[in-house]
Amino acid sequence: MAIYNAEHRRLMEMFYPSDNQEYSEVLSSLGTFMQKEILPVSPKLDTGEVPIMGPRKALFEQGMCRIPFPAKYGGLGLPFSVYANAVELLGTADASIALSIEIHNAVAEGLLRYGSEEQRKKYLQRIVSGKSLASFALTEPASGSDAGNMATTAERKGGDYIINGSKMFITNAGEADLYLVFAKTRRGPSCFIVEAPNPGLKFGGELGKLGMKGSKTSEVIFSDCRVPVEDHMGEEGKGADYAKEILHGARIVVAALNVGIAQIAYSKALAYTKARRAFGKSIAEFQLIREKIADMKTGISAGRLLYFYASKVKESGEDFSSEASQAKVFATEMSLRVCDHAIQIHGGYGYTTDDLHRHWRDARLLTIGEGTSEVLRMLIARRELARSL
Amino acid sequence: MKIAVCVKHAVDETELKIDPSGRPQLTGAVGKMSTFDKNAVEEGLRLKTTHSGEVVVFTVGTADSKKTMKEALAMGADRGVIVLADPLEVDAARTAGMLAAAIKRGGPFDVVLCSEGSSDAYTGLVPPMLAEFLGMAYVGYARKVEVSGASARIGRSLEDSVEVVETPVPFVAAVVSEINEPRYPTLIQIMQASKKPLEELNGEQLAPAGDYKQASLVSMSAQPSSRKHVVIQGSPEEAAAKLVDALTKEGVLPK
Repeated sequence: MAIYNAEHRRLMEMFYPSDNQEYSEVLSSLGTFMQKEILPVSPKLDTGEVPIMGPRKALFEQGMCRIPFPAKYGGLGLPFSVYANAVELLGTADASIALSIEIHNAVAEGLLRYGSEEQRKKYLQRIVSGKSLASFALTEPASGSDAGNMATTAERKGGDYIINGSKMFITNAGEADLYLVFAKTRRGPSCFIVEAPNPGLKFGGELGKLGMKGSKTSEVIFSDCRVPVEDHMGEEGKGADYAKEILHGARIVVAALNVGIAQIAYSKALAYTKARRAFGKSIAEFQLIREKIADMKTGISAGRLLYFYASKVKESGEDFSSEASQAKVFATEMSLRVCDHAIQIHGGYGYTTDDLHRHWRDARLLTIGEGTSEVLRMLIARRELARSL
Repeated sequence: MKIAVCVKHAVDETELKIDPSGRPQLTGAVGKMSTFDKNAVEEGLRLKTTHSGEVVVFTVGTADSKKTMKEALAMGADRGVIVLADPLEVDAARTAGMLAAAIKRGGPFDVVLCSEGSSDAYTGLVPPMLAEFLGMAYVGYARKVEVSGASARIGRSLEDSVEVVETPVPFVAAVVSEINEPRYPTLIQIMQASKKPLEELNGEQLAPAGDYKQASLVSMSAQPSSRKHVVIQGSPEEAAAKLVDALTKEGVLPK
């Protein structure tokens, strides 16, 4: 089955009655590219035989990161849901590259929303075109979702800020050319663009991970890291708010990524149920297997609708934090269930085959990263209780 | 150099659904540019890079063919011409006649490129008929095309050998997939393709059928194929060797 298929096309028609054809052409072309150039190397990204740089660069050259940004900055000016759908396709082709690109584009979104015109001109075009790789450095060894408790500091000295501290579990660390860094000034959490190389910017060793092994994750260490005052983004003391807003958008994309992971695990499981025979018949004929197929498919369809809906609310300019969180909580937990069912359906082969259990390992990250399910449930409930008043 | 490339908006076989009676559901089926037509477009673009000039893409199809034409334009073709007719209702000769009329109307062209066969019907009949209608030389199975002045050298992939022929320009060549690796258009090129000229012509008016008689399609159904359910046992090494033997005997692998 094509990565971009009739179901995606139908959703585009429903959500965009007049412009869906153009969006589908873009996504269909991207899907074909991923099917031929990314999907076949995906198992080797997991084992480390193929480094991420080559396939990621190829996707940059195709224009994947340009999708949701204005033409003025080198973007294609297409709706956010088209971008989210593209990330779903990439999640199917390779989750590690999807994660790397999703983080990269979250930085671009931050620059677009909070950067000055000079900063956008200087950095945004480079990120959108993929000429520079970006990384988002918020989480610390002792603070995650409670970003306000960050320990990294930025002290103003003349025309520079001096950043000290460290950031943990940072995707694209060591490879990126630009880091969006959150550090506390006298006024509170603030946001900086740090260009690599910088003598005060160092990296810990690569962290061993359960999944998403194709992407690089390390600690980022700031040791008297000097950043010119022009690279301070937005207002001092508002960094935590910026991070929160940037992550709301990223959560929609993470939901899409997980729908993509679930889709590939489901496709493999579906094919296996038809091929595998037990007790003289195809296992697809057993009711308990059929129950799993039904639950997997229903979850994927629901997850897709949730991220599409959250994207549309975002595009409307209204507060979408609850919808984004709903999509992320549901899609990440759903994709874990789907990948687990896929392993169960494959039996012993599921437990022993890298090319199957890697989907579960990849999916496992995202009920934690970019807002844990627990924190996001609190956010959803708080927002919905406030809305109902 | 003026280069014409003929393409077909074919049924996407990867998304084709078969109904319970075994008939392919052609109504509403998803279409795509016929697989090897991309090689023909790519070769046209490469010739343009070497010799400069213009690449014009032609197709016979319904309005749905726009999708395929836009893909060819996104790859880099300069403009496109759709000859409106239902491919399910016109046979290879009528298709070739309509293409020839459109190419003559927009010509003269130095090179006309097609692929060896479409990925849905795969009759392979249109390119030689087109050459006949255009009064041009025809070279099939083209794997390398080098144009130099008034002649061209074309390498042909035959069963067990490669043949090199020389042909006068203009000519029609049907290319095979070995000829090149088609480029992927970038997303920017896809969006810009909508701005390139795309002309629509009425097939019947352009090339009236007159008293031409053609066979009409009565039914189409999938050929049932039975599976052999061969189970190969043994250690991985033994099983692999047995599998290679079995596949060789079936003709899947060369002897």
